[in-house]
Amino acid sequence: MPALLEARAITKRFPGVTALREVSFDLRPGEIHALCGENGAGKSTLIKLLSGLHPHGSYEGELLLDGHSVQFRSIADAQRHGIAVIYQELALIPELSIAENLFLGCEPLRGLLIDWEKLYTEARTVLARVGLDLSSETPVGQLGVGQQQLVEIAKALGKQTRILILDEPTAALAEREVEILLTLLRELQARGIACIYISHKLDEVFAVADRITVLRDGATISTHSTAATSKSGVIRDMVGREIKDLFPRAASRVGDVLLQVDHLSVAASPNRPARLHDISFTVRAGEVLGIGGLMGAGRTELLMHIFGAWGLRLGGQVMIGSRSLRDATPVEALAAGLALVSEDRKRYGLVLDRDIGFNLSLSSLLRLRRGLLVDEEAEVRANQGFFSSLRVKAPSLETVVGTLSGGNQQKVVIGKALMTGPRVVFLDEPTRGIDVGAKLEVYELVNRLTAEGKAVVLVSSELPELMGMSDRILMLHEGGLGGEFSRTEATPERLLAAALGRRLSAA
Amino acid sequence: MKIKFSARDFSLILSLVAIWVFFAVASPQYLSARNLSALSVELAITATLALGMLLVILPGHIDLSVGSGVGLIGGIAAVLVFNHHWPALLAFLPAIAIALLIWFAQGTLIVRERIPAFIITLGGLLIFKGAFWLVINTHTVPVAPGGRPNLFSLLTTYYLPPLASYGLIAFVLLALVTVTLRGRKRRASMGFEVDDAELAFLKLFLTAQALLLFVLCVNQFRGIPLPVLILGVVALVIQVITRHTPFGRHLYAIGGNEEAAFVSGVPVQRVVIGAYTLLGGIVAITGLLQTAYAGASTTTVGDSMELDAIAACVIGGTSLRGGRGTVLGVIFGALIMASLLNGMTLLAVSPELKFIARGVVLTLAVWMDVKLAKR
Repeated sequence: MPALLEARAITKRFPGVTALREVSFDLRPGEIHALCGENGAGKSTLIKLLSGLHPHGSYEGELLLDGHSVQFRSIADAQRHGIAVIYQELALIPELSIAENLFLGCEPLRGLLIDWEKLYTEARTVLARVGLDLSSETPVGQLGVGQQQLVEIAKALGKQTRILILDEPTAALAEREVEILLTLLRELQARGIACIYISHKLDEVFAVADRITVLRDGATISTHSTAATSKSGVIRDMVGREIKDLFPRAASRVGDVLLQVDHLSVAASPNRPARLHDISFTVRAGEVLGIGGLMGAGRTELLMHIFGAWGLRLGGQVMIGSRSLRDATPVEALAAGLALVSEDRKRYGLVLDRDIGFNLSLSSLLRLRRGLLVDEEAEVRANQGFFSSLRVKAPSLETVVGTLSGGNQQKVVIGKALMTGPRVVFLDEPTRGIDVGAKLEVYELVNRLTAEGKAVVLVSSELPELMGMSDRILMLHEGGLGGEFSRTEATPERLLAAALGRRLSAA
Repeated sequence: MKIKFSARDFSLILSLVAIWVFFAVASPQYLSARNLSALSVELAITATLALGMLLVILPGHIDLSVGSGVGLIGGIAAVLVFNHHWPALLAFLPAIAIALLIWFAQGTLIVRERIPAFIITLGGLLIFKGAFWLVINTHTVPVAPGGRPNLFSLLTTYYLPPLASYGLIAFVLLALVTVTLRGRKRRASMGFEVDDAELAFLKLFLTAQALLLFVLCVNQFRGIPLPVLILGVVALVIQVITRHTPFGRHLYAIGGNEEAAFVSGVPVQRVVIGAYTLLGGIVAITGLLQTAYAGASTTTVGDSMELDAIAACVIGGTSLRGGRGTVLGVIFGALIMASLLNGMTLLAVSPELKFIARGVVLTLAVWMDVKLAKR
């Protein structure tokens, strides 16, 4: 039986990174095929290729549909070939009714006007197909996330879809909604619609998939039929790389507790359920605490909340030294000796069209004051200190930050945080999107900070980095603690199991 | 700082020259000492208000209420002086205090309640206009009872005598030279690039020429008008605030990337409220000046001044998205607006056409701003 959709030896390069290396993948007619892998393994890139978001010509290799070579030039092009993608973030308009959303952009017309009668009757048929028993006139905003997901699927099915791609569809769903979704997928399968299913949740994968393909570091590691593999086998395939000498962690003398978090629970905003629940941990001087977890586990939210930049505290306490931080803003967090290097440096880190000096001293201006004015000589001295000690590669302090490479931009963000003279440093994905050389410099900096007696909290999605650079590791799972591990206890299997919320016996 | 003589700067200077040539040909009095003196007063008033506007545009906000505010504040002072016989100086104090309070309140509503500045100040435009007309009872309230000059009327009728004007300009030039030399030395000692000596000299020389030409012109009439001196002080203060204080840096940071500024420990709310409060102070100064220039508080004082101020900012290279703009640019933008409006008044262009011309200039300036940002 020829494959319905096949990717042959796909290589996709981004500036500085090879995201996919000779990846091959095939989808058989009417099967549910799960795609697994760590964050950054290349799943999303592969999907963007299959759905036409990365058009033909931007990658090497070949796509075949029904055994014939196809070249998708755009998403619309892929849709015409019967491929529909449902992303994690829903693309529905909450104010419009279900029916209006279903036919957005392809409303049935009578002359120049919308044929409302036809729109609503057709919507009813489409809704029935996904088993949604709702009036098609209901505004989408009134639906739960799970029901919205079904509307998205219904929308996709309206377009002669033969292949449905779901990217982490259950990330935001409750258990009951997950059940409905999985049942629906099986029904669709019975009607001959094939499905590529991406999920971190192995329980779901094993419940619904016919075959499982594991990607790691942009390469296909294995494809097994579900019956012929096990969860621990899949986990091993996902993480199974050796930790090389890439991580020069030199342990320092551990001192007093500098940051103490007790039973912290936080919601995104008033009247929302807790996003983080009952999180407790401490970090000592000279120590690196690694925090891991899957996408959406709440790592960034945890750091941003402690720093005073996110969320509403429902309970718990945060102490920096002997100072309690409550309803803090970043101004107070910085004053208490806490500094944050955000994961999204373009959004939260830099004023891109200003120069390096402006950005470096931005957090420290109130301290670099003489009377009412900025003490410009002291400012330049401080800027130059970090410019050279962090080895920022740029012509001068007056180079506009937006023109720098990712690694050098990151150094500016780090320099800005360190100039405030913190005792506790939060590094949220400090090596994301920077090259290997710059990564090594960041690791050396972490060693320097702990040698100076500072405490470092390192959030990373890369298990090797987490294991290589942390003295202790905290895994978050769906907003709560999934497990805590000393450096010696931490194995990739155990960490990943904790991130997945599973207990795994020591392998 | 290398010399950055962009196409934008060039086209601005060209438009200014074109405006001057056009009006000089169309109306011989345009370049007369008397009219140039009047033009400099109008420039001073427009530029002062525009510099206040700069403070709120830099962090990415806007203020549509300043025109009505100018009328209201001038009206309050005029009523106190004319109807209640207060000494002018005493009347200024409550007027200024009220302005500071109103703009503090507007700033607070904008950042604390997260209502867009556009809406709050659009409401302010109407409310202050109504309050203004209530205050003056839609009458004409002269600034000087019985036509006897007082401090209020002197605001726009006092001229620094010619000799003192020369002295002042000499002093300003000396200060400029000193500041330039010291700045160069400091930059060089900190290892930054400096203009080469010839270029620095050329810049100073051209500035000196322009200042001398200006003082020669106004001295042919009566000397430097007081509003120009006030503009000089306001510009100096705003320049120092925006360039040399943490507050000013924070304004640019908020406009450049508000989220990053917040996470960097910039007290975003306090800074924006501060900017609006300062703008209130400048609205008060402008209100007193503009009312004095009109000779009386009448219902039309301050009309469309918010648009002139915004246009001056945008023409002068201020980005409406925030984060970009300079004092010098804004003054230059105000010079273009004032030259245009003054010329049209001189030619007795009908108000209808004046509205259209203003609108065209504003639209062109914003269009240029958008084009520039897309690059």
